[in-house]
Amino acid sequence: MTKTYAEINEKIKNGDVVVVTAEEMIKIVEEKGIKVAAEEVDVVTTGTFGPMCSSGAFLNFGHSDPQIKFEHLWLNDVHAYHGNAAVDCYLGCTRMADIRPFEYGGGHVIEDLVAGKPIRLRGNSYTTDCYPLAEVDTEFTINDINQAILCNPRNGYQRYVCAVNSSDKILYTYMGKLLPKFGNAHYAGAGALSPLSNDPDYETIGIGTRIFLGGGVGYVIGEGTQHSPKNRFGTLFVKGDLKQMNSEFLRGATFEKYGTSMFVGLGIPIPILNEGLAKKTAISDEELLTDVVDYGIPRRDKPNLRQVSYKELKSGQIDLNGKQVKCSPMSSFNKAKKIAEILKRWINKGEFYLNPPAETLSTERDFKPMKITSEIKFVRDLMKKAEICYYDCDIKIVAEKIIKGNINHIIITDKEGFLKGIVTSFDITKAIANDKQELKDIITKKVITTNFNEPISNAARKMRINNISALPVIDEQNKVLGIITSEELM
Amino acid sequence: MTIINVTLPMRIIKGLSDYSNIVNEVLKQEISFNILKFSTDSSGIKMLLDVPEDKIKDITKSLKKSNIIVNKKGRVSIDKELCVNCGACVSLCPTEALCLNSDFELVFSEELCIGCNLCLDSCPRYAIKED
Repeated sequence: MTKTYAEINEKIKNGDVVVVTAEEMIKIVEEKGIKVAAEEVDVVTTGTFGPMCSSGAFLNFGHSDPQIKFEHLWLNDVHAYHGNAAVDCYLGCTRMADIRPFEYGGGHVIEDLVAGKPIRLRGNSYTTDCYPLAEVDTEFTINDINQAILCNPRNGYQRYVCAVNSSDKILYTYMGKLLPKFGNAHYAGAGALSPLSNDPDYETIGIGTRIFLGGGVGYVIGEGTQHSPKNRFGTLFVKGDLKQMNSEFLRGATFEKYGTSMFVGLGIPIPILNEGLAKKTAISDEELLTDVVDYGIPRRDKPNLRQVSYKELKSGQIDLNGKQVKCSPMSSFNKAKKIAEILKRWINKGEFYLNPPAETLSTERDFKPMKITSEIKFVRDLMKKAEICYYDCDIKIVAEKIIKGNINHIIITDKEGFLKGIVTSFDITKAIANDKQELKDIITKKVITTNFNEPISNAARKMRINNISALPVIDEQNKVLGIITSEELM
Repeated sequence: MTIINVTLPMRIIKGLSDYSNIVNEVLKQEISFNILKFSTDSSGIKMLLDVPEDKIKDITKSLKKSNIIVNKKGRVSIDKELCVNCGACVSLCPTEALCLNSDFELVFSEELCIGCNLCLDSCPRYAIKED
């Protein structure tokens, strides 16, 4: 059995097209089998609604009189990119407002713009003969400007990882707030409703595919950045007219201590051209697997703890080393379902037709890491020998070591070399001022540490965040290997 | 059980004994109750108490006599207009106060909230507010 786009569009026109959502398709295939499902169902709709940091908008304001060529411009205090023509700009959703950063950003401006709210535009220019105006301060709504185009280089991830945190601190990430010691788990993606998971070989999704985007009609305009088809992390580059969109499906987002982003509603219709597509669109949450990844390790290659199905994730708890851990989605399934339903309604009502892609997406592309030409330094490259005293050492001896070595930090260990604490020259001064005689009364026992293989930038960040100037370097057993201080980082 | 938020305003605090006075006022009712939160800030001494529902009237009356303010707030509320039902808060909730229902809509069961505030900064929409 095969069907063509033309045949399906003819059915849409005649009002006898059979459209189901990707969730409904699972049951249909289960009950009737692939062959019958492929004959009966013409289109399967999908949907997803998650934070997609690679989202933004191209805007054109029209010309002022006298004219201006923007050098810098701000929309509601969010800096927009203006390295294109005089009154064009690109506003990225993760760009934070100069005032109220983390609270308000590019994604919120796009939400407000689509909601019809007035947006303040401030801009300046170095002025030219053809663009003499130096400054603009005005207000506009979406109806006042020429084009407002949502243009997202990477959306619609086929699947995404599930994030957990092995460290002993709360982590604030783009995957939300991760509690220490595997206290919770966060995941993204719409599972069985995810557009690319329903067409994993990109047979029908490609350049020119008409889609639901932010409540309006949009298009796939190519493979997304970081498209990684071989391990089923495909992505889409999409665009659409913001003037048709609805702020219910484009929402600004803030991830505490990470920054701003935007929830984007995306839905793709998949034509059931053959039995293979009927089978693929019947994929269930149970069959869709992703990796549980430890975000407690601040490196590109993070430990992969296990594979987990979207079924387990959606149950609200996952098993992690025999422990049940609560998990949260970052994407809204409620909205994803709604999107698949709306798209289904549009097609049923003959308001939305399907089109074959002008070109399909690559199934071969590799996702390469950044090429680094300057050397990245690690703690092992810059650490030095630590001056060590034992727990029961006399304060005077500690003070002598500080003076003799012209240093500020003495590490305290037990006789076997295991870390017990740290003492600074300031602690010694304070001990004298407060008339304290015992070392154990002045040492800092809760010590922030680093290890041999930590990149220097991570160690430096630890010092900055904790407002300290040295980190003992320890091994996995807590044995002291050396010290790294802010002096080595200079 | 029902949760109440009691505050002894800063302006009438005299000393450390005020802390035990609040607890003693409740203990007068001869009931068992839970102290969920105990804090002092510029507004005064605050306590979040979990008390038997049928005793609320008596407790309130008795506390008011000692100039202690009682209200039912002190935990969080969800702004449905701002919420997008993503569920990012659900895994932060140590009780079952924040849950997704079968339609994946966020359901907040106020009676289960212990006022830990862990969810407050987990919401990408600032839809969770402290009462």
